[in-house]
Amino acid sequence: MNKFIALTKIQIKDFFSKYTQHLNVKNKFLGILTMLLPALLILPAIQLALTLYDSFSMIGYPELTITYIYIANVMLMLFAGIPFIISIFFYSKDLRLIATLPVKEDTIVFSKLASVYIYLLAIGCFFLGTSVVIYGTIDGVKVLSLILGIMALLISPLLPMIISTLIVLPFMSLIGRGRKRNMLVIVGNLVLIAIVIGVQLLMTRIQMQPDAINNLLSQEDGLLRLIGHKFPPSIWLTKMIQGSLLDGGLFILLNLAFIVVLKLFAKKLYSAALLKFNQEGSALIEKGKIYYKSRSIGIQIIKRHIAIITSNPTFLLNTVLTMFIPILMFVLTSLTGELSGDLFNSEALEPYIIYIYTIVVSTPAIMGSLSATAITREGKAFWETKVLPISARDNIKYRIYTTLIINFTGSIILGVAAAYYLPVNFTMILLAAAFCIATTLFFSTIDIAINIQRPLLNWSSPTAAVKNNLNIMLSLLLRVITGGIGFLLYKMMSSLGANTIIGVLSAFFIILYIVAIYIVYGIYERKFVDIAP
Amino acid sequence: MLLVKNVSKVYDNKKKAVDNLSLEIKKGEIIGFIGPNGAGKTTTIRMITGIIAPTQGTIEINGIDISKEPVGAKKNFTFVPDHPTIFDAVKGIDYLNFIADIHEVPIQQRKERIERFTKAFQIYDALTQTINSYSHGMKQKLLVSGALLPNPNLFILDEPMVGLDPHSAKILKDIMRDHCQKGGTVFFSSHVLEVVENLCHRVAIIHRGKLIACDTLENIKKNSTATLEEIFLEMTKDE
Ligand SMILES: Nc1ncnc2c1ncn2[C@@H]1O[C@H](COP(=O)(O)OP(=O)(O)OP(=O)(O)O)[C@@H](O)[C@H]1O
Ligand SMILES: [Mg+2]
Repeated sequence: MNKFIALTKIQIKDFFSKYTQHLNVKNKFLGILTMLLPALLILPAIQLALTLYDSFSMIGYPELTITYIYIANVMLMLFAGIPFIISIFFYSKDLRLIATLPVKEDTIVFSKLASVYIYLLAIGCFFLGTSVVIYGTIDGVKVLSLILGIMALLISPLLPMIISTLIVLPFMSLIGRGRKRNMLVIVGNLVLIAIVIGVQLLMTRIQMQPDAINNLLSQEDGLLRLIGHKFPPSIWLTKMIQGSLLDGGLFILLNLAFIVVLKLFAKKLYSAALLKFNQEGSALIEKGKIYYKSRSIGIQIIKRHIAIITSNPTFLLNTVLTMFIPILMFVLTSLTGELSGDLFNSEALEPYIIYIYTIVVSTPAIMGSLSATAITREGKAFWETKVLPISARDNIKYRIYTTLIINFTGSIILGVAAAYYLPVNFTMILLAAAFCIATTLFFSTIDIAINIQRPLLNWSSPTAAVKNNLNIMLSLLLRVITGGIGFLLYKMMSSLGANTIIGVLSAFFIILYIVAIYIVYGIYERKFVDIAP
Repeated sequence: MLLVKNVSKVYDNKKKAVDNLSLEIKKGEIIGFIGPNGAGKTTTIRMITGIIAPTQGTIEINGIDISKEPVGAKKNFTFVPDHPTIFDAVKGIDYLNFIADIHEVPIQQRKERIERFTKAFQIYDALTQTINSYSHGMKQKLLVSGALLPNPNLFILDEPMVGLDPHSAKILKDIMRDHCQKGGTVFFSSHVLEVVENLCHRVAIIHRGKLIACDTLENIKKNSTATLEEIFLEMTKDE
């Protein structure tokens, strides 16, 4: 047990130090503020929970808020958990050391999962947490519900975490062989995530037949059973929060059962998957001939930055996933039948097509924060370009160009795919392109200031570099703020036509881009020189 | 070739790693830089190479101030660090072409030098493999080969002998000597005193951030018969 605690402590310390590293401790207020920033991101989650609560209260079943959010939460946790688990188990640098320690296999597996637990719990706090608090306080404070709700919240990450571990470890030992291993890991995981979420969506799909609903509404718990019947833990959890000890017991038991299962299999998974994967990690990849070819400095450096992403499955997976969220959502929802092609051609949706198309095309810029990790991704190899005869300005510039190239590639793919499904015309494409170019230029440029401010070069697992750190939070926050301002502008112009609105918003982002250029090359170029690897 | 003037480095506002250090190296010299662990060798070298900025003082390479004109100064030297941590998912030959492109080495010279150095170091056949499959010593030799490609005026190395087999260490020593004979300058840190003794025109000794000696071996020995090891231990012993 002591060994487990010691090992877990290290993992968690590592996890948190990555998050808080380089906070400006001189200014306490600033320190606290930066810690609170992520909390601001909770606002949209509160909005979501409130909306759900209102609609479910209207039909008399406010507790369904919890059921719904819990199911969504589990999906989200599986979605976020799988890449994270892969990164900390298969690509983290400490495994080589840990593997030599005299500790049992299941201890290693569980201590590694500690940081996954915290990560998933944070996601849980955002969604399940807010809905529990809203449910427990909005119509008078229900103390028991709140306490049980918080318990449920603490337990909630276990199930998705263990399920994904049990899926991922054997899966990786299957695909982690042979030459094209990284490629297989990426493709395999995309498919895996799609399947897991697809199954979830299928399971929780509600058949909207008026008769059946009326019928069920007349029974107690009818709707709850309907929504949760394919995923019983959601029922148990809901009733647990309502105060049912029996269901609470069932929910806790189920989680315990999964822990036991993982403990039973840990040894096998460890030797079959982890060790094997690490062993074959340095398989000789020999290809091509010795060549002598000169390229321009810019091309060489951009190639290097792109290779840093493509050579690391976690980086690549992260980049691809955030970029193609719209495609993933579309494919999944159309597979499960919740979305039909006719919907897009309906009258009611017509005025919004241009907005949908614009947003879809601009997703890589809005969802991705490639520039915010452009320096961090390089990690300990960052010193390399610093001793070469390249100016700091060029060094920053090529990083931004790399983000631009990747984002525009993503946008073009999304644009073509969406144009196939959505009834778009030439003007729409032009406007969407203008908006996409403006947002991509702005975010790609300003994001690098965040990374220069907080370079974080010593990461132990690649997820720490591109996901679980404050830089990503800051860049998301930046998007929430600019998005808020953009929304205000939209409201102010609502009497104008969609074309004009998108035109004005694009101009708005271009102006921001010009400001960003001054900030980055004016202020942050000096700071870049001072980054000490 | 290298002029370090009153340079200090303070880490995190408290740890003074290098204290008012001055040093001048002339063209054609080989200088060995020695000192106990934590004395400030790596810190000094990192300032000279522009990886970190000094808290105080100036550094000029071939007459160019590295903080004022970094690109101009960096065209004059190449550097091999104490740990070969480089982006290693590319092939050895990719790395060498990368360095050659950034330093603008023409194709013909590039080919000739890559063949000469990597064959001498016996890593030529490994150039088509990705660097992450290399051993520590192979990476080290790849970095040295890369650093030699541009035929730099000043060649800076931080503990270059660590991890090299005797054969490779000998080749590296020959290369360093050869580089000086052709008018180049070499500045390297080391814990291997015999190498320093045999190779260097002058020796710089750093202790607790301060330069406590910088002279020819004969002058440091002051006509005594002691070895460099004995002198080193005497000079850097804790009171
Ligand atoms: N990034 C850093 N932050 C804080 N202190 C540092 C940092 N790097 C080095 N130091 C400190 O500066 C001092 C000098 O370190 P340096 O690495 O220059 O020593 P060194 O002479 O190269 O030692 P060695 O022979 O072990 O390589 C040490 O006391 C070290 O603790
Ligand atoms: Mg050192």
